[in-house]
Amino acid sequence: MKPTQVASGVARLAISVLIAAAALLPIVWGLLSSFKTPQDILQTTPRWLPATFTLENYISIFKAGTGGYLFNSILVSTGTVALCLALGSVAGYGLARFQFPGKRAVTVSIIAVMSIPVASLLIPTYTLMAEVALVNTRLGLILVYSAYQLPIVIWIMATYYQTLPEELEWSALIDGYSRAQTLWKIVLPLSRPALIAATLFVLTFAWNDFVVAVTLLSADSVRTLPIGIYNFLGFYGREWGPLLAASMVSIVPLVALFVALQRFFIAGMTGGGVKG
Amino acid sequence: MTAGPRHAYKYLWPALALEAAFVFAPLLLSIYYSLHKVRYFELGAMVWFGNYLDVLSHPVFLNSLQVTALFSLSALFFTFLTGFGLAFFLNRDGPMSVLLRTVVLIPYVIAMLVGSMLLKWLFSADAGLIAMANAYFSLTVPTILADPKYAMAALVANAIWRDSAFAMIMLMAGLKSIPPSLIAAARIDGAGWWMTFHRIILPLLKPAMLITMVRLLLHFANVLTFPLILTGGGPNNATDTVALRIFRVGFEDYDLGRANAMAILLCIFNVCAVMLLLAAFRKRGAVA
Repeated sequence: MKPTQVASGVARLAISVLIAAAALLPIVWGLLSSFKTPQDILQTTPRWLPATFTLENYISIFKAGTGGYLFNSILVSTGTVALCLALGSVAGYGLARFQFPGKRAVTVSIIAVMSIPVASLLIPTYTLMAEVALVNTRLGLILVYSAYQLPIVIWIMATYYQTLPEELEWSALIDGYSRAQTLWKIVLPLSRPALIAATLFVLTFAWNDFVVAVTLLSADSVRTLPIGIYNFLGFYGREWGPLLAASMVSIVPLVALFVALQRFFIAGMTGGGVKG
Repeated sequence: MTAGPRHAYKYLWPALALEAAFVFAPLLLSIYYSLHKVRYFELGAMVWFGNYLDVLSHPVFLNSLQVTALFSLSALFFTFLTGFGLAFFLNRDGPMSVLLRTVVLIPYVIAMLVGSMLLKWLFSADAGLIAMANAYFSLTVPTILADPKYAMAALVANAIWRDSAFAMIMLMAGLKSIPPSLIAAARIDGAGWWMTFHRIILPLLKPAMLITMVRLLLHFANVLTFPLILTGGGPNNATDTVALRIFRVGFEDYDLGRANAMAILLCIFNVCAVMLLLAAFRKRGAVA
């Protein structure tokens, strides 16, 4: 290798290390500190590794109800994914395979709802949910999450269906399958990549959401994990150990899932376009 | 194939019903509420545009508009620039690039609440990092989150840290859609690196750049978690964004009339931005 090549390689590596450090420092630092004792965390000359390794922080948050928050988060996330996939895979099929009056309006509304940030809908949604007595219920949260995430699911599914050869469905119809049977037995099994992408996208939203849940839930028994963490923020104050431990309970499973299946995540972010 | 309109709606109506109930109905109800005096859920007298006039002449709301503009534009500028740099730096498909793409996406994937909390901790005096940096570089950075200017910078830093990877992914998708043959042809015609970038890549990347910018702007103009967790709107309302103001007026003062008026104003801004987005999509031919 020529010296200039070596130099550019070294520069590239240095920049890469810097980028990785900037992205990961807060997370790794938090993870390591979640195993530290309170005195250790508040030391003015920080040290990477815990002086004494302790699970105290984790025990403390589970005593404070994190188990219940986790359960609620899993329940709400699963419910949202199920509802979104059921409605989205069917609606996406209607959009991908039929020409009908109002198709343009439907498409435009899907993109609009996909793009409108949740925050501007919080007060209106809260106002409505209070009227119909769905505040403080996990069902209410599932319905609202699904309404927010369904457009992207429809979009992912519809763009994927369009890449499938329609001839397959024709031959199934000729063989006497109904449309519903064709969708269930032929189209959906072929659409696994799109289904995975949609699942991950919705799951991440439902698992991570804080702003919708904090406005709709106030009872401790229905709180999801992020709301639990938010309340710990007031409860523990400057006692960072338990806060960091609760944060890790929220992010470690998600990061593991993301690293394992990242190409599907990216498909959701860019709005469809999954490769089989 | 015989596929009439009735068939299509058979597939669509459950999804459309859910959207109607939980996205469009709330918006309509919100408009209705915003035209009334509301106190603790008691719908009072109709005041027409009273709430809007009230809000728009209130110095605290005007301050929050200013704060939101400053935050959104700074965050947009730096996040887009960082994402743009990352997209080009990591565009080549090597194991190193793939690994680094995964790494920079982690702050985007985790809960915003957790990300902002981790940063709040790092920026606080408690983590000891600031104290150490002060000693090491002989600086005198005070407690970051207690100083109006630094607090805004911290908020922007939070945005860059989380959302640069989003800009990167969007721009990389745009780069992938440029046919390599075009670039190869330019090379054969003797175009250098800058010429190729300036004359081929940049013009073809424009729709993707526009979509990325509008989506980032929408996100930043509406984001609630960053200011709520990181700065709480302080110090002295220096980071009190519109989203945070709406949250406080709605869920702490329970003034749903004014809160809904503000939410509708924010929604109008969003709809304008979305229309821009749709125009960009149409240009790219993504919408049939």
